[in-house]
Amino acid sequence: MNCAECRDNFIACVEGLLDRDQSLQCQAHLETCAPCRAEYEKVAKLQQCLVARGQAAAGVRIVESVMRRVRQEQFKPERETIMSKLFRHRWGFGLSAAAGAAAIFTVILLAMPNAQAQAVAIMTKGAQAAAKLTSIHLRGQLRTAPQDNFSAIMPDQDFVTIELWKQFEPELKWRVDKPGRIAVMDGHSTMLFIKPDYGYKVAQRSSSAFDTQWLHEMADLNKTLENELTAIKARGWPVTLTQQQGADGKAKSVVSVEAKSGLGTGDYLNNKFFSTANTRRVYQFDNASELLESVQIYLHSDAGEKLVFNLEAIDCNQPIDPAMFQLQLPANVSWGGDMPMLPDNEKYAAMTSEQAARAMFEACGREDWTEAAKFFNPLTGSMKQILGGLQVVSIGTHFTSVMSLIMGAEFVPYEIKLKNGETVKFNLSLKRDASTRRWFVDGGI
Amino acid sequence: MDLTDKEYVERCRDGHAEDFGLLVDRYQKSVFSFLAWRVGNFSQAEEAAQESFVRAFRSLAKLRKPESFYSWLLGIAGRVAQEQFRAELRRGQDGEAAEAMRTNATSDPADYPLEEAMAALPENHRQVILLRYYEGLSCQEVATRLAMPLGTVTKTLSRAYLLLRQELEARDFRGS
Repeated sequence: MNCAECRDNFIACVEGLLDRDQSLQCQAHLETCAPCRAEYEKVAKLQQCLVARGQAAAGVRIVESVMRRVRQEQFKPERETIMSKLFRHRWGFGLSAAAGAAAIFTVILLAMPNAQAQAVAIMTKGAQAAAKLTSIHLRGQLRTAPQDNFSAIMPDQDFVTIELWKQFEPELKWRVDKPGRIAVMDGHSTMLFIKPDYGYKVAQRSSSAFDTQWLHEMADLNKTLENELTAIKARGWPVTLTQQQGADGKAKSVVSVEAKSGLGTGDYLNNKFFSTANTRRVYQFDNASELLESVQIYLHSDAGEKLVFNLEAIDCNQPIDPAMFQLQLPANVSWGGDMPMLPDNEKYAAMTSEQAARAMFEACGREDWTEAAKFFNPLTGSMKQILGGLQVVSIGTHFTSVMSLIMGAEFVPYEIKLKNGETVKFNLSLKRDASTRRWFVDGGI
Repeated sequence: MDLTDKEYVERCRDGHAEDFGLLVDRYQKSVFSFLAWRVGNFSQAEEAAQESFVRAFRSLAKLRKPESFYSWLLGIAGRVAQEQFRAELRRGQDGEAAEAMRTNATSDPADYPLEEAMAALPENHRQVILLRYYEGLSCQEVATRLAMPLGTVTKTLSRAYLLLRQELEARDFRGS
């Protein structure tokens, strides 16, 4: 096969349409012809990007919701004022009032099978019952590593306690705690502390930050309801309602929502975070008070269903000690922030993720902390202790996930031998800084 | 038989509003993907995609070149994403969402502006790309859907890849 014939077959090759002989001939040519190989890699990369973009959008079905609005504008001008206001609220990111939730419930009720509509009604009443909160404290058990992200799910790990304290009045403040990390919003700024010595501060208040959004949504039933209803309707997530007797002898309504991430089972981030996991969410409401009493989240995987989160305590309108929103940090904290532009920044910006991973690990091996720090935001003392004097065993070829492609991150497989003799084999998560375009370590150590 | 974008737009303008649903069906995933790349948040991207289509419907009468519906639609989607971003900044309350959007909105636009580059493709080439990758059909299924031989699908894909790469490289060049 010559160059022209080989290039004519590129698309058929990446699409797997060649027969065995043709495929072998194409591969043989690629092994011996560097220009064709480079060209083929470009085609294959473009195909990967197209596949990833398509996978990310696989669950999107908005025809019905768009056409409902179109019909209202086109055919029912007498309803336009009321309905468009309602939908503008909904699509204007603001459905925080119970009245809004009730209105959405009415719309969904018209379109959904009866059992599903009843389940939605229970959630709506729960949202209304919880609408006048002045504060809330949630305590749950989550299967995860103590220091990992707040939304990271690790079904093979033991449960660790995760808690949210949220004060709505007189001023919004919140704190999320797990054994290895704490996030606090004190009314003016938002701070993350990862034990023992990493800190990151944003000089503005926030309703959620640092991967805690899922827990905040649980504390704001209206928000949870809005999200669940959107997904139930737009993505066809199954929802069921059962009536049970609780341990306290009282009647309970249990709403179960099957959430689909839309990621393929082969995607690296599939089932690793709440936002990328296939889960079944079980909400239990007390029939008399209509309040939410418990939440369990089960992870769906090839291994079956496993409980990964159990919300075991919900305290409403109890005073929260103001000291909870003040962090006392050790003096040796290293603070993350804007990455500095280096004099030779271009050299680092031009690196591939594999080159950046190798350069970072080798600098750590030499204990050249000035060089190593160029790949961290920031390099902490505890990280120096772990990585100092390491030996690089191997650096693999990077791979991506649908989510990482969108967020501009890549994963680089590595194997290193630490100074204490321990061998670590994992995938380094590298992300490009938006302003300097340098790769920095975003996880995986 | 699927109609062209121009034909659907003209039918909508002639009072067949329901045909707009076929345009939404054709482009919902690529518009969502474009917005997800811009805002970095699936939930907000889906909301913005809905809003973009509704605004497009409202403004359909103003579209001068119906054959350019897709690139016009992406322009609307880009403005909706920008409005979302500004609203978050104005509210100043949701630092996480605003930060995510800012980071991605200022990322190197030459990285993967695939949907924008697709707007430069001839419509029949774009349709094959959409069916194959965004609808997840196999090449054979695309051939059946479009009533064309498999060989024509692969040739169209080859040409589409070439044009996409040229467009992406040109954007990269213009960007630099």
